[in-house]
Amino acid sequence: MSTNPSQLPADALPSMETKKAAELKKPPGPWAILWKKFSHNPYAMSGLVVLLFFIVIAALAPVLTKYKPEAIDLMFANLKPGVDGHLLGTDELGRDILTRLLYSARISLMIGFSVAFASVAIGSIIGAISGYFGGWVDTIFMRIVDVMNSVPTLFLNILVLAIFGSRMEYMIMILALTSWMSIARLVRGNFLQLREMQYVEAAKAIGVSSWGIIFRHLLRNASFPIIVNATLMVGGAILSESALSYLGLGIQAPATSWGLMLSNAQEFMLIDPLQAVYPGLCILLVVLAVNFIGDGIRDGLDPRQQLTKSRRRLDKWRKNYSKSGN
Amino acid sequence: MTEYLIRRVLQSVLVIFLITILTFLLIHAAPGGPTQMMLSPGLSPEVFKQQAHNLGLDQPVPVQYVRWISGLLQGDLGYTFKNHLPVADLLWPRIGNTFILMGAAWLLSLLIAIPWGIYNSTKVYGLSDQSASFISYLGFAMPTFWFGILLQQWFSLKLNWFPLSDMHTRGKEGDIGDLFMHLVLPVTVLSLGFLASYMKYARASMLEVLDQDYIRTARAKGVKERKVVFHHALRNALIPIITILGLDLPILVAGAALTESVFNWPGMGRWFVQMATEREYSVLMAITIVTAVMVVLGNLLADILYAIVDPRVKLGKQGGKAA
Repeated sequence: MSTNPSQLPADALPSMETKKAAELKKPPGPWAILWKKFSHNPYAMSGLVVLLFFIVIAALAPVLTKYKPEAIDLMFANLKPGVDGHLLGTDELGRDILTRLLYSARISLMIGFSVAFASVAIGSIIGAISGYFGGWVDTIFMRIVDVMNSVPTLFLNILVLAIFGSRMEYMIMILALTSWMSIARLVRGNFLQLREMQYVEAAKAIGVSSWGIIFRHLLRNASFPIIVNATLMVGGAILSESALSYLGLGIQAPATSWGLMLSNAQEFMLIDPLQAVYPGLCILLVVLAVNFIGDGIRDGLDPRQQLTKSRRRLDKWRKNYSKSGN
Repeated sequence: MTEYLIRRVLQSVLVIFLITILTFLLIHAAPGGPTQMMLSPGLSPEVFKQQAHNLGLDQPVPVQYVRWISGLLQGDLGYTFKNHLPVADLLWPRIGNTFILMGAAWLLSLLIAIPWGIYNSTKVYGLSDQSASFISYLGFAMPTFWFGILLQQWFSLKLNWFPLSDMHTRGKEGDIGDLFMHLVLPVTVLSLGFLASYMKYARASMLEVLDQDYIRTARAKGVKERKVVFHHALRNALIPIITILGLDLPILVAGAALTESVFNWPGMGRWFVQMATEREYSVLMAITIVTAVMVVLGNLLADILYAIVDPRVKLGKQGGKAA
């Protein structure tokens, strides 16, 4: 097949050139780079799939099962898996285990995300004020951080829930109040650097208020490390919730949670050992998924991440080269 | 150095003071407060008032705080409401029990984690490194109490190798072999958590040092790889590890509430949980303060150790003499 260059459409070449020029003009944004690295990370992607799976089954719980999580049916207690339409069997009160797992996913995910959200809000605001204004405000806030870091977290959680009662709002509140410190430190550190930037000076020069600078300029520039930290926080909050519920201070009886199911299962360990396996497995999977996602985001944001890859190749090459050279 | 020390100590004292205030206010913010708990509700109003007065519960909160803290400073942790026993006498043996459990887990995981982490730093992405990072991920994501329950099911109920729970078999108190058998399962659970973080730290710290120029120089001079790793790199890599160990010291006393609850270990953490459900405020306050003091002391110790080991640490103000 012979093609005559003159037969090419007249605008083919220039259009390609303009396209190239446009690409040159607009390099991929940070989100695009992040997504590209993230989607090439098998751990992060499998974490995302697992988390989405749990979110979907939690949202669709009433559709997926015809039983109620708190419905007691002593006629059908301690059924083996698969008997009478109970896919994973029933517990000692005849409650369907699969149903309880699904409804527990709702509680765990809700607590995980709300705690992460609340502590990010608290931590960012305190860290931002501390880092931007400095001075005595900073000193006071950092002493508060010291105090909160020195109180044993689990003990403080137990103490507050024991005093004020085990309600879910209280649990979210106290978990957030005991986990914002790392975010505050992080944001403060970032702000100490960012506030020296010239665009801050420029913004000040044209009369932007301090709060405008903090929220519109600085917080946005500090957002990536906050996102990474927040993701990892979701996993921590889910673990804390399950621990508190296991100890009997978290979610209370008619409601259900993986931790509560585990403490129940431990009592009836001799009758049905499998009962203790499912809820723990769910916690493990969700927390693992969230941690993988967090690590994936962190690696995706790290510009050195590609460097290490090539350096590894370089080291390999060097090794081979020096061996043959000697 | 002295100036830095004094400043850090003063800071620590301030933090402990603030923690006592926080704890005290928290207890007094409770609906009903300590009064409700200490006195039985069946009393007639006059007797109730009289007893509250005798216990000093009708005084303003700041006065009560001063009384409590001056007792605390003399080692008086108060009395339990229920049986009126001194909290301190009940607390110390339990701290000892927790310390036995945590000390064993801590030593075991250190002995495994640090050599393994160092080895992995010399063979990054090898099979050993991959399995270590797998264990790390597991250790961070697995609920410890679930791991405990699974171990109980397998090694105690099914195989009958180890006792299910408690610290001693009844009648065999003081038997070391018996204590050892009771330690195996909870120590395994606790070690996994420690292992996960220490291995990561040891590896990361070594990798950072191995990347330095002086390591390259040593290699260029023809120093053997063994000597580079153990002589040149390890000494500097250990500095941050020591700090982390200092920061973790308080966990030896505080960190086992869950594991203790699973294995019915008569330690401080399980006691705290029990007393929380019974609302024994003086016990809760005592344990919170004792642990907080240990955390603060651990932090202080870590900072001092760091300043001693690493001469590069800037000791506060410029005039400070770096040893």
